[in-house]
Amino acid sequence: MAFVLSLFAGRLIQLQGLDSKVLQAKAALQRVQPETLPARRGSITDVSGKQLAVTDDAREIYVDPADVTPAARDEIATTLALELNLRKEDIAAKLAKTTQRYIVVARNIDPPRANKIMNYQFKGVGTKATYRRSYPGDTLAGGLIGFVGFDGHGLSGIEQTYDKVLAGQDGKQSVEIGGDGQRIPMTRTSRQAPVPGRDVRLTIDRDIQYAAQEAIAKQVRASDARSGSVIVMDIKTGQIVAMANAPEVDLNDWQSAPEADWGNRAVSEVFEPGSTNKVITAAGAIESGAVTPETVFRVPDHITCADREISDAHPHAPEPLTFTGIIAESSNVGTIMAARQITDQRLYNMFRSFGFGAKSGAGVPGEEEGLLPAYQDWSGSQRCTIAYGQGISVTALQMASVYQTIANGGVRITPSIIAGTTDEQGHFVAAAAPKQTRVVSQTTAEGIAGMLEAAVGHDGTGTAASIDGYRVAGKTGTAMRYDEKCKGYCGYTATFVGFTPADAPRLVALAVIQDPKNGHYGGEVAAPVFKDVMTFALKSRKIPPTGTKAPHVVLRAGG
Amino acid sequence: MTPLPAWSAPFAARTPMDPGLLVPSAALAGIGLLLVGSATRADPGSVFVQRQAFSVCLGLALMWLVSRSEPRVLRAYVPVVYLLGIAGLVAVLTPLGRTVNGSQAWIVLGPGLGFQPSEFAKVATILALAGVLGGRGDSGRPGGRAVLLALALTAAPVLLIAMEPDFGTALVFCAVTIGMITLSGARMRWLAGLAALSGLGLVLMWRLALLRPYQLRRLSVLLDPEADPLGSGYHATQARIAVGSGEVFGTGLFRGGQTAGHFVPEQHTDFIFTVAGEELGFLGAASIVLLVTLLLLRGLWITASSASSYGTVLAGGVICWLAFQAFVNMGMTIGIVPITGLPLPFVSYGGSAIVAAFAAVGLLDAVNRTREAVP
Repeated sequence: MAFVLSLFAGRLIQLQGLDSKVLQAKAALQRVQPETLPARRGSITDVSGKQLAVTDDAREIYVDPADVTPAARDEIATTLALELNLRKEDIAAKLAKTTQRYIVVARNIDPPRANKIMNYQFKGVGTKATYRRSYPGDTLAGGLIGFVGFDGHGLSGIEQTYDKVLAGQDGKQSVEIGGDGQRIPMTRTSRQAPVPGRDVRLTIDRDIQYAAQEAIAKQVRASDARSGSVIVMDIKTGQIVAMANAPEVDLNDWQSAPEADWGNRAVSEVFEPGSTNKVITAAGAIESGAVTPETVFRVPDHITCADREISDAHPHAPEPLTFTGIIAESSNVGTIMAARQITDQRLYNMFRSFGFGAKSGAGVPGEEEGLLPAYQDWSGSQRCTIAYGQGISVTALQMASVYQTIANGGVRITPSIIAGTTDEQGHFVAAAAPKQTRVVSQTTAEGIAGMLEAAVGHDGTGTAASIDGYRVAGKTGTAMRYDEKCKGYCGYTATFVGFTPADAPRLVALAVIQDPKNGHYGGEVAAPVFKDVMTFALKSRKIPPTGTKAPHVVLRAGG
Repeated sequence: MTPLPAWSAPFAARTPMDPGLLVPSAALAGIGLLLVGSATRADPGSVFVQRQAFSVCLGLALMWLVSRSEPRVLRAYVPVVYLLGIAGLVAVLTPLGRTVNGSQAWIVLGPGLGFQPSEFAKVATILALAGVLGGRGDSGRPGGRAVLLALALTAAPVLLIAMEPDFGTALVFCAVTIGMITLSGARMRWLAGLAALSGLGLVLMWRLALLRPYQLRRLSVLLDPEADPLGSGYHATQARIAVGSGEVFGTGLFRGGQTAGHFVPEQHTDFIFTVAGEELGFLGAASIVLLVTLLLLRGLWITASSASSYGTVLAGGVICWLAFQAFVNMGMTIGIVPITGLPLPFVSYGGSAIVAAFAAVGLLDAVNRTREAVP
């Protein structure tokens, strides 16, 4: 008896004295279950608060195979497969893993649908409240907005860059769970409430974005191009009103889209701009005082540059063109002659001031800097080709910003994509005002604006961009396109960028189409896109025509 | 034989129950009620406590009645009692029986009204064995026929219970029988033979693979419950966690997290000791061990001081039963013995077990009251 007693006492002392801390920890470990309370992700809206990315309530359907009797497996698999549109075999395989207690069968299920499944009252089938990110516009501004992964955090675009703002702070809760998996009644739980994410308001105008996207998608298809982008900016604020690409990723089904389409080409794709670049050469030449728009050059159809001979797009006899005429007719030879009036350094500084070789400052996710070689490194022919936009590369946003600067009287406003965010109380807080920098004088800017208006006039290359009743200024670009696949120049980049109204500019729009096969001139492929988008944007913004007429400008001396 | 007053004689009323028996058994039943209440508190609307309280009252009443009885008068009814006990064990194997936790051990008479024939068979068998082994008057020592008859009387319930199957309860019968034959003063050769027989039985069970795989696993997890913590080691692991997390003073009654979470299966019946361990701590668990020990010591004293060999064997049988069951139950909870489905006497939930245990204490008191009398 004494032996038995001491055996029991010894064992009790061992369990409740010596090992008690270990056993107690084990008890807590299996009983107290920490649980994450997901925070509701903030919305992404357009400039007027219309939803572009929203978070809805959803349900996760899971099974607890240990709790499912083998006899019930078939019925559960059949029903779930039917209700959730899944393969019955997959569900049956999950149900067979009886050592596991929680296997997800389906995510992002609508609450009513989940309730229907719960109404079957299957033992071992449960739902968990989650959130689902959805995008009412599907492809609308897809590359810009980006998408989230399974964990609800952003993987690309605004969703990724502004994840900290949007995500909020998940809460925590620890619940005491009994051996049967149910909550133990009347146990205390510690709870830290989730902090909901804040909303991000973009500068995008949903309607104009939609029009831009339709127009570029249509033209990319029609011209059998590789891709294309459109940017619309507000000249007075630098806000990006539309930023569309084609093809554009469907955010509600991003997994099906090729990875190449996940990004935002308007800022991620760099290309040699071609003739649209001539405004910077012109700005440099005019700002230096070396030439005026009226300066006459005798322009042949070819010119020798170091080891290369550079010619105009179409052969012509030497003709006396004003500088305006050179830009309007987009003469490469004439542009080179003007560029030779200023130093390489001056030209380089002008590119820099207009924002080349650096990110635009808009903070658009995935933005590239382009390629602007230092002037000391320019080869003999490069210093000619750069003047008309070959031998450097830019993004569509950088080029749009150049035209915003010209249209705004020479003052560059750093582009912006974020209008503001909401604070913790849900009040809107506008983003900081963008930086303004003068790049060229008002006179220079106005001179160039006049030249650009002539380029859209009846003798210019951009007549297809003209809009009835409005004065339009703009420039075509047809650049040879460098293609890594053929290790050289294959195909073209067709561009049109311009602003309206020319005498009181409000909006700048750029359309760029990569590698079109049905036609390749900017004036032929890109200008109609500009026209469609700008026409819609002017109506949408209720911008009236100025009612003035374009002044007569002399393109040819004596002509 | 000297004629004695009838067992309802006023003599009985003048002698109160022996406090050494009454206090520990009633205290254990009282603790049991609290622990059952705690173990089932998470089931809203459950009536475990009420039913247990009813069983305790019934048990106390029966104990009092039995303690007033005259053992030798009772002896006349032993064949009837024994046959009733066997009849119950047979009945439970018919479709009348209800299977709970794999053993067909219950007869359900109506909703909430069922009983376990094996519990009554314990009392019946002890009475029968006492009659056979302790009845030889002054010679004091049972002969070979008596021992063989005793073995036969045990074999019937053991086999019937093994068919339920309820291995643990069958073991109780074996332990009781060995104890009673030993106490009866049977010759050493019988005891040696019995020991050899037990050894042979064990070897046979092993060789013929009569042990079920789960029973083998229970033996192996006794040594290392962590080897299969979610399978066969689950009971053992969870019981140790619950007992261990009680520490010295326990979490307090009705405040044990493991108990509330129902981590230990059968925590209101066979594993009630885990509730004591967690909620009452070392002090509570040790108190239960102490109360059981006090009861057993008192019983041993009665066994030893009984003048009649009948009383000695009868009391000894009761003590063997309660001791075996109590220590195996608490032992399995804290990982000293393999897990066997036996309730903790007086404490575990279960009407039949409660009533049978109190009846057994009544027998002890009856023996005690008549210890002076020479048969």
